Amino acid sequence: MAKNRKGTKNLAFPRIANYNCAAKYIMEQGLEQHCVLQPEMTRHTLELGTKYSPDSVCAPFKTSLGSMIEALDAGADTLIMTYGLCRLGYYGELQEQILRDLGYEFEMVNLSEFTTGKKKDYLKAVKKLNPNVNLVHFAAAGIEGLKMAEYVDEIEETYYKNCGFETEKGSCRKIFRKFLRDMEQVESRSEMDAGYKAAREALAGVELEKPEHPLRVGIVGEYFTVMDAFSNLNLEQKLADLGVEVHRWMNVSHRNIHYSGEKNLNVSIRDLCRFEMGPTSTANIWCARKYAEQGFDGIIHVKSAGCTPEIDVMPVLQNIGEEYKIPVLYLTYDSQTSDTGLMTRIEAFYDMIAMRKKVR
Amino acid sequence: MGNKKQSASVRRAEKNLTIGLPRAMLYHRYGALWETFFQQLGVNVIVSEPTNRRIMEEGAALAIDETCLSAKIFLGHVQTLIGRCSYILVPRITGFGVRRDMCTRFSSLYDLTCNVFRTSGQKFLTYNIDEKARSDEETAFEKMGEFLGFSQKEVKSAYKEAKKAEADQRKKQIRQQEKQYEKPGMKILVAGHSYVAEDACVGKPVLDFLEKSGAVVIRADLMDRKDALKKSTQMSPTLKWEINRELAGSIQAQKDKVDGIILLSVFPCGPDSMASEMIIRKNRGVPLLNLVLDGQEGMAGIETRLESFLDIIRFKKGEMGRG
Repeated sequence: MAKNRKGTKNLAFPRIANYNCAAKYIMEQGLEQHCVLQPEMTRHTLELGTKYSPDSVCAPFKTSLGSMIEALDAGADTLIMTYGLCRLGYYGELQEQILRDLGYEFEMVNLSEFTTGKKKDYLKAVKKLNPNVNLVHFAAAGIEGLKMAEYVDEIEETYYKNCGFETEKGSCRKIFRKFLRDMEQVESRSEMDAGYKAAREALAGVELEKPEHPLRVGIVGEYFTVMDAFSNLNLEQKLADLGVEVHRWMNVSHRNIHYSGEKNLNVSIRDLCRFEMGPTSTANIWCARKYAEQGFDGIIHVKSAGCTPEIDVMPVLQNIGEEYKIPVLYLTYDSQTSDTGLMTRIEAFYDMIAMRKKVR
Repeated sequence: MGNKKQSASVRRAEKNLTIGLPRAMLYHRYGALWETFFQQLGVNVIVSEPTNRRIMEEGAALAIDETCLSAKIFLGHVQTLIGRCSYILVPRITGFGVRRDMCTRFSSLYDLTCNVFRTSGQKFLTYNIDEKARSDEETAFEKMGEFLGFSQKEVKSAYKEAKKAEADQRKKQIRQQEKQYEKPGMKILVAGHSYVAEDACVGKPVLDFLEKSGAVVIRADLMDRKDALKKSTQMSPTLKWEINRELAGSIQAQKDKVDGIILLSVFPCGPDSMASEMIIRKNRGVPLLNLVLDGQEGMAGIETRLESFLDIIRFKKGEMGRG
């Protein structure tokens, strides 16, 4: 196995939303290995992944496969893949098989293999990544990495709420991009905190021209596609550019780090669904109803084509739409979805909710 | 909740307590268990008729476009039962343990159905198998029986009888499959979910055509489930869906005894989209046909594909002249 100069591994994880900086932090500060940060995903990534994937698998499989290939081409020798509660839980093994059939040589650490029902077994995965790992170090870096994910979520949330109303076009974007670049570079908690504070203060200082009651749209949907701007073709940016305050609850902070649990969320949607219908279904139904109750102007439901749990949420969202008379736009993304087609649908949706707001 | 007990006895006292069973999805796996259980309790059971074009079309109209064909058919069956029974049974099953998951659609099917038929006034019955909530099949059946107003003793004995009936039926089916090997002719292993293979409008025409063409059909879903589960890890260690593991294990166990394999699935099946790919990649060299049905294709196109698949096998076996 190819090793870099220090005799450490070159680890890589597929691109996911803006979280690769946190993954990098944990790999480098916690596992003390080198992290290969492959390029951000592009059309090429998707085409590469689509070429080697089964046809009717969900789009995140294709993009993450493409991203793995780009990581290997960028010099990674070890790939890490997560487990998951839907098809995601089988991504790792099939992607490894496809890559091996293509002739790639690499080490694979597939967390699905270590998912046995006992949390302790994940330690084996950590040991595989670095047999001499300092567990105290690793735990500390893990906590800090999660903190970074929270920072990313907070800055991103503020960004999408405000960037549509800035008086000088692009000023929020500049801050957001710099913040993400900083997070990719930091090597300690203090640097991380400094970068976050700087971004927060800079964002607070941006001059906004926001009406008292702006159009508000809540976005719900499939975990990966809803968070990953490349995969949803910059949906949030497109909405913001039309002058919409964009809200999205779904992110790692809310769904994973501070998740209040299915049972707690189910209480307020009991009349709509009795059980947990899928890994993020309860959260999405709860969130859509919350947006409706808070008087949002519209809801957009996002998913990749064929995402079973999210397809099954749609009849429930239809009922919410009827009950609260709130427009719901359903967006399905596959490898063929075009930017212009999406823009047309978003503009039509925007015109409709803007007109409704005027009438009301 | 104070009147829960009272309403349960009222439910039982309902003269014609009738449970409707949609002949779709898990009916093809648990039909014997359900029918015997309710019959033992003295409850009337009606099963919807085998799938026909109308059921399929009505189901498709009720479902979200992207839903799999099997779920569309399921909703069509539910539609035919609306208003004809006190309750329609829609179980919720998340899985049976680590890497023994059901497709997430079986977690959502009960709530999905309730939402689709929200304005119909129809009542639905469920039992919930959820490993995380420590609710196994027996517990789930006990709760369901209790909800209907039966005593724990009655429910327990009904469940026991139902399990016996299920095991007997299963044994008979497995024996039948083993006998298939004694028949002359080329053996084709058909691997599809039971609800695909047995559906009158989806799998059945395929199986019938194969037999008419002189092939002996072996169904992969009718193998001892425990053995199949064990075998599946040889092919794919992290395959996580119970039914796909059964099928993969069954293929692993029988691939050397058959002349060809047909992977039979419906469009778009989440688990199959990945499991079939793995099976194909791990079984290079075995004649294999991946047949994905969407209910729109008509039989002529499928027959052509099946014929050419059988011809290739005959050619390979030297039963057909060259040139």
